Amino acid sequence: MNTQEYISSGIVESYVLGLASDEERKEFEAMCRQYPEVLAARTSFELALEKQAMQNAITPPASLKAKLLEEVGASAKIVSLPAAPVKNLSWLKYAAAACVLLLAGSVYYNISLSAKNKALFADNKKLKTDFGNTVAKLDDLEKDMQVLQQNPNIKMASMKGMPVSPHSYATVYWDTTSHDVYLLTNNLPLPASNKQYQLWAIFDGKPVDLGVFDIKKEKLLIQAKNAQGAEAFAITLEDKGGSSTPKGDMYVMGKL
Amino acid sequence: MDIKTTYSEQELVALLQQRNDKAFAYLYDNYSGALYGIVNAIVTDKEIANDVLQNVFINIWRKIELYDATKGRLFTWMLNIARNAAIDEVRSKGFRDSQKNQSLSGNVDIAGAVTGPAIDDVGLKKVLTKLKGDLRVLIDMSYFQGFTHEEISKALNIPLGTVKTRIRSALIQLRTMI
Repeated sequence: MNTQEYISSGIVESYVLGLASDEERKEFEAMCRQYPEVLAARTSFELALEKQAMQNAITPPASLKAKLLEEVGASAKIVSLPAAPVKNLSWLKYAAAACVLLLAGSVYYNISLSAKNKALFADNKKLKTDFGNTVAKLDDLEKDMQVLQQNPNIKMASMKGMPVSPHSYATVYWDTTSHDVYLLTNNLPLPASNKQYQLWAIFDGKPVDLGVFDIKKEKLLIQAKNAQGAEAFAITLEDKGGSSTPKGDMYVMGKL
Repeated sequence: MDIKTTYSEQELVALLQQRNDKAFAYLYDNYSGALYGIVNAIVTDKEIANDVLQNVFINIWRKIELYDATKGRLFTWMLNIARNAAIDEVRSKGFRDSQKNQSLSGNVDIAGAVTGPAIDDVGLKKVLTKLKGDLRVLIDMSYFQGFTHEEISKALNIPLGTVKTRIRSALIQLRTMI
């Protein structure tokens, strides 16, 4: 193809001025890619046209520019944000300071929580142990109580406090068949280390020794010596080891 | 503020595509007069010409991504936006007028365009005056009024092929005059 002929056909002007048909446009664009002289002719006419238009420029009313800048301003502001670095920096500073404060607060909070957690863990462990002991104790008691309650032959004597210790209180469960005696020390003051409580059965008006015992918190129910017969029960405080006959003060007494 | 006094066309396009408002102000300062010239060559009413120019720059701002440097210079692209906007304005007005004058003739506008284009002899239009009468009318109708070759052929009762060759020949002559 003779490009010079093509260039001088008017297609360059037609294309640049926007008068070419779609078909002509596509062909011209292909020619520009293929032939540098066609592209050069296009650029040359574009520059001439631009120069001519510049020389014949008409200044628009000044108010138009302000109006336009205002109109595009809204969309332009989005990208012009980086042009205000001071404002941004101060914002970042505050944000960073807030972050540091938050972090410090969080660390402190976590440390104190961790300490609290450790203390709670220890408490919990202790409570678990205590609870375990209590449950075991309760189990023993329940077993003991079952022995007493489920046995129809058991007789009970509530022993009330005597003048020497009016608030004292104890209970005796006596199996009339097996003659087993169980003592529940509900409330007895702790004796001096050289003293021991001694349980007596009153049978035919005479005290019968049922043994000495210590007050043990773990085991409230104490098995005493067997009693063949009894009208009442009593506890006296004797010298350690006990006595064949009651000599010390009587703390509690109760009839069957 | 550190504002460059001149931009290369590439720089300007890149900045506009980043929505740089300073580049837009620069674009307006440098090209609004030339584009206002072409708008005024097509639109006779000053108020309407102002509105058209405003729309032209808003369109340039919004459609800058569509600009393809391989298809022509930035100014050529803007010039065509301005020309098309102005022609659209005149034609929509012409359409409204033709609605009123429907009973007279379907070719009222075209006839009017041929007989009475009130041209200020400035810019490209001034160049037009150097063309021979029939070529001048053809260029005026196609370039300044946006009529298609088919419409011109119908309006002037000239075969379509003749319209095409005459316009081409007018353009070739224009080339030497610019």
